[in-house]
Amino acid sequence: MSGVVTAVRQLAISVRMSFVETTRELGFVLGFTIIFPIGILFFLNHLVAPDLRTQVLVGTVMMETALLNINVLAQAIGSDKQTRLFDLWVSLPVSPVVYALSVAVVLLPFTLISAAVTLGVAVAFFGVAVSTSTLVFLVAGFALVWASTMGIGYLIGVFGGTPRQINSNAQLVGVILTFFAPVFYPVSVLPAPLRAVAYAWPLTWGTQFLVGILQGAASTTLWSALVLVGFVILWLAIIGIGPRWRQV
Amino acid sequence: MATPRTEASDPSSAAPVLSVRDVNKTYRSRRGDTVANRSVDLTVRPGEIVALLGPNGAGKTTLLRQIAGQLLPTSGRIEVGGVDMVRHPLRAKELLSVIPQECEPKLSLTVEEHVRFFALLKGVPTKGIHEYTDRLLERTGLTPYRSTLVRELSGGLRRRVLIAVALASPTMQLLLLDEPTTGVDPEARRSVWQLIDGLRAQRIGILLTTHYIEEADYLADRVAIVNGGRIIAEGTVDEIRDHLPYRGRVEVRGLDHLSPEGRQRLDALQLRYPVGFRAGNVERLRVPDPFAPEIARELARLAEAGVVASVGPVSLEDAYLALVDGKLEGAA
Repeated sequence: MSGVVTAVRQLAISVRMSFVETTRELGFVLGFTIIFPIGILFFLNHLVAPDLRTQVLVGTVMMETALLNINVLAQAIGSDKQTRLFDLWVSLPVSPVVYALSVAVVLLPFTLISAAVTLGVAVAFFGVAVSTSTLVFLVAGFALVWASTMGIGYLIGVFGGTPRQINSNAQLVGVILTFFAPVFYPVSVLPAPLRAVAYAWPLTWGTQFLVGILQGAASTTLWSALVLVGFVILWLAIIGIGPRWRQV
Repeated sequence: MATPRTEASDPSSAAPVLSVRDVNKTYRSRRGDTVANRSVDLTVRPGEIVALLGPNGAGKTTLLRQIAGQLLPTSGRIEVGGVDMVRHPLRAKELLSVIPQECEPKLSLTVEEHVRFFALLKGVPTKGIHEYTDRLLERTGLTPYRSTLVRELSGGLRRRVLIAVALASPTMQLLLLDEPTTGVDPEARRSVWQLIDGLRAQRIGILLTTHYIEEADYLADRVAIVNGGRIIAEGTVDEIRDHLPYRGRVEVRGLDHLSPEGRQRLDALQLRYPVGFRAGNVERLRVPDPFAPEIARELARLAEAGVVASVGPVSLEDAYLALVDGKLEGAA
């Protein structure tokens, strides 16, 4: 078997293993991925002007697809480090990419369900218009946004010390990203120097990408999608090199 | 030792499944360098169990983690089944299995799922995986627990699950066990020992670290005593014991309620034989030959005076303590 075929097989097996494990903790996952973001959606929609509601919807979806992904991935790695399963994984004949993807991919279906529910609530209760033709792009967009942030969670997880430190770091990075990669407001409201910082994060591009889909802005959408794909490739390359996989 | 060696199973002539050559590990930090391993040489052959014995912080786990590919050595060479672990880690890892220290299996998976998923990950073909899993569960005594979630198992059974996961490999030549019975009750410890001992027949080389001298004595064909990052002595249990310049020990108990006569006789004995160890109510005297008639006579005299004493050959523990305390020169 070639290396790629072996890696794909291992990925399929490890994702299935993680999925079986996660479905046995479903209450926690669903509570975290659905109830919490919808609460935010209701709260913020009462605060913002009607013309910013698309932005609020995208911000809420970004919380589910990007920020939650960063948090859960980092914490899953922290948990594996605490139980020493991380050491077991490192000693298996698998690439760190297989490990990272297996931990991350298992959350994707829940993320997509969560984003879809949020979208449905926004359409039904807040008058956000979503055409049927954009739905396919949106779902693909959610997945792309999710993938573009995977490396952040992975790096927090492998470089963090104890699970508690990893949790704190993930929370801190989440707060920083929420404000410096504007998800609940347009990047244009930031002062110029902070705008440059904001564009260094995939969340900014992810927000622009989803707003672009919802508002039918083709060039913004395409350009943002290309940058997000670049982030995915960058993260896979970094994870593949194996920082803190085999320690020095 | 649990299983007597036979000529047919003598591993000494086979090519090693593990070869460690001049391995050094130094952790560098702003506060200075910490040397964890220095000039370590070690081999494990098929069907052989080698125990790394040493105090906390001696460098046992660091060495094992380097062999397992979790940690890069600062210098030196590690080969598993002839494959260089540093240069070809994926290929080398196909040939080994590891149970990390204090590792916990996944709590939300059943016993059967653990074995099946990890077997598939390590290259066992999908076709026939259920039969493969069944055989492994049978071998490890886990069949009655196959559908039980790990969170419902005792510590000893969880250890068994990890051993089953480690054995679930079609290509394994080397098994690394980092303190396999730490935190396990004595009964479960015995059952894990029996399981490990049974792996000899499959020609799997085993390297284990342990704090338990009894564990090394029971399981190991060879023992390597590690202290200060170095292997200070290596050999069979008998060879390690031979480092001591005396062959026996007289153990006296109940020191706090000796009669005057008993005290007198013990004092006389201490003038002839040095005290090697004293703790609480117990004292051990070093004697050149535990089977010499004069020792039997001394024991009879002590018994007449109501002193509880016994005689026996030196143990691995005696040699270990003497070597680690630096009172003996090792011969690694």
